[in-house]
Amino acid sequence: MAAKAQAAWTAFGAAVLVFMLSPLVLVVFFSLAENANATFPPGGATLHWYGVLFDNADFWKALGNSAIVTLSVGLVSMIAGTLAAMALARSGPKLANGVIALITLPIMLPPLVLALALATGYSSLGLPLGLSTVIPSHLVFTQPFVILVVYAQMAGFNMAIVDSARDLGAGSWTIFRTVILPIIRPTLIGATLMAMAVSLDDFIITYFTIGGGMTLPTMIWGMLRKALDPSINALGSLVLVATIGTSLIALRLTRYRG
Amino acid sequence: MSLSPALRRGLGLTPALTIFGLFFALPMAYLLVVTFWRIKRYRLTPDFTLSNYADVFGDYLHALGFTLVIALVIALITTALAFAIAYLIRFRSGLFGQIILLSALATLFGGYLVKIYAWKAMLGAQGSVNLLLINLGLIDEPISWLLYSPAAVVITLVHFMLPFALLPILAGLRGVSEAPLEAARDLGAKPWQITRDIVLPQCRGSLFSAFSLAFLIPAGDYVTPRLVGGPETFMVGNFIENLFVGRMNAPMGAALAFTTLLACGIVLVTAHWLLGRALTPKWGR
Repeated sequence: MAAKAQAAWTAFGAAVLVFMLSPLVLVVFFSLAENANATFPPGGATLHWYGVLFDNADFWKALGNSAIVTLSVGLVSMIAGTLAAMALARSGPKLANGVIALITLPIMLPPLVLALALATGYSSLGLPLGLSTVIPSHLVFTQPFVILVVYAQMAGFNMAIVDSARDLGAGSWTIFRTVILPIIRPTLIGATLMAMAVSLDDFIITYFTIGGGMTLPTMIWGMLRKALDPSINALGSLVLVATIGTSLIALRLTRYRG
Repeated sequence: MSLSPALRRGLGLTPALTIFGLFFALPMAYLLVVTFWRIKRYRLTPDFTLSNYADVFGDYLHALGFTLVIALVIALITTALAFAIAYLIRFRSGLFGQIILLSALATLFGGYLVKIYAWKAMLGAQGSVNLLLINLGLIDEPISWLLYSPAAVVITLVHFMLPFALLPILAGLRGVSEAPLEAARDLGAKPWQITRDIVLPQCRGSLFSAFSLAFLIPAGDYVTPRLVGGPETFMVGNFIENLFVGRMNAPMGAALAFTTLLACGIVLVTAHWLLGRALTPKWGR
């Protein structure tokens, strides 16, 4: 009876794992396969589709734009998010929970609504669309991740060591640099990487706020709308490797386990 | 120089709140105002009319109802599945538990578009799902309704939302203390009785968080129905996008967007009430 139940749970676990991972595994698999239709039989192994992708000038433009957006968004999210998380850690839990509920609203709503609100706002102000409108639009849904993760660490922070440092005459900046930062640095970097992964993968907000330009996800969208382009699997694989790789490093640094 | 603690807190929150105010609160408020405006010669013109809402109720109520039903199906399947997985990780700690958790965390932030088009490839007549079913001898011919159907939208969005639903539920299950479970077991309660009467009531809050997210995001999605839904599966997000981009009618698109958010809010309040009633702890009786 117990053994039977355990076997059923194991089968369930295996099925879930296949369901979760097989779409991603197949994209990477077909990016390395000769068959241009991405169907079975796959044919031999090849790097041909990566070659096609790297010969495409659009790819390098999109990669450059994605890099600019992701790095800027990561840097600003880190600063704004950490400052906010530290301020919240020193506030009462009531105020902190209120601010967190407010500031995480952008990640709870369907991105289409925010995307259209931003696009309508920019167009009414006559602002030209481009990377300068994409970056602030990303910040609003990346900073909550930094705030949540850093706040979670700061909530368990031993404030007595900060007080001791102050009693010994250290100023605020010295305390931050020599006492707080060394302790929270892994969490801070991890949280920033999460924000960068979210920014790098964003399609909907970017699509409506970039105007004519292109990032890696909007390039995927363009390829999906045209006739079959087998190098899409190569591009998809690169985006997957970048976002999953970033997330794995972030998980390791923050020791976040759900 | 010494700042008062309150001022220091205020300064720390300023950048984040400024970003939130300028790029979320303000545009959303503006979009709400625009729902009362109209379009004259392709330009937004200030006005105070309810005609956009009247048009939404006249033309899009059917699409809205269809979208809410699909989103509800997705949210229910996702929450139930996520609970079962979280239960596996928390109480069974089998071989797959930790691998599933790691996979969920690693794929949480990546590949929204890639996941959708991967399902498009997998669910087609030549796709790997049909191929697998044929090779297993379960079917003779490819199932044609797997792709370009509401079923495809449900499968794709359940897959996308699953990691997001799993994490809050797992956090909720980790908060369930061991002592009452052991007591119930010692008194002869069956696992399903323990789950129903002790575990589920204690993670009501996290179940609702997971359900809300798995409902709201699909309810406003337009990319998934566009890519895998086919011509029959138009969800409200498709109409909103078309009103803004195709028909350049921002006021009506905005009115449809806010009507959708309001309808979602009503569904969630109802769900919260039902969940509270269904999962009231039973040990007091």
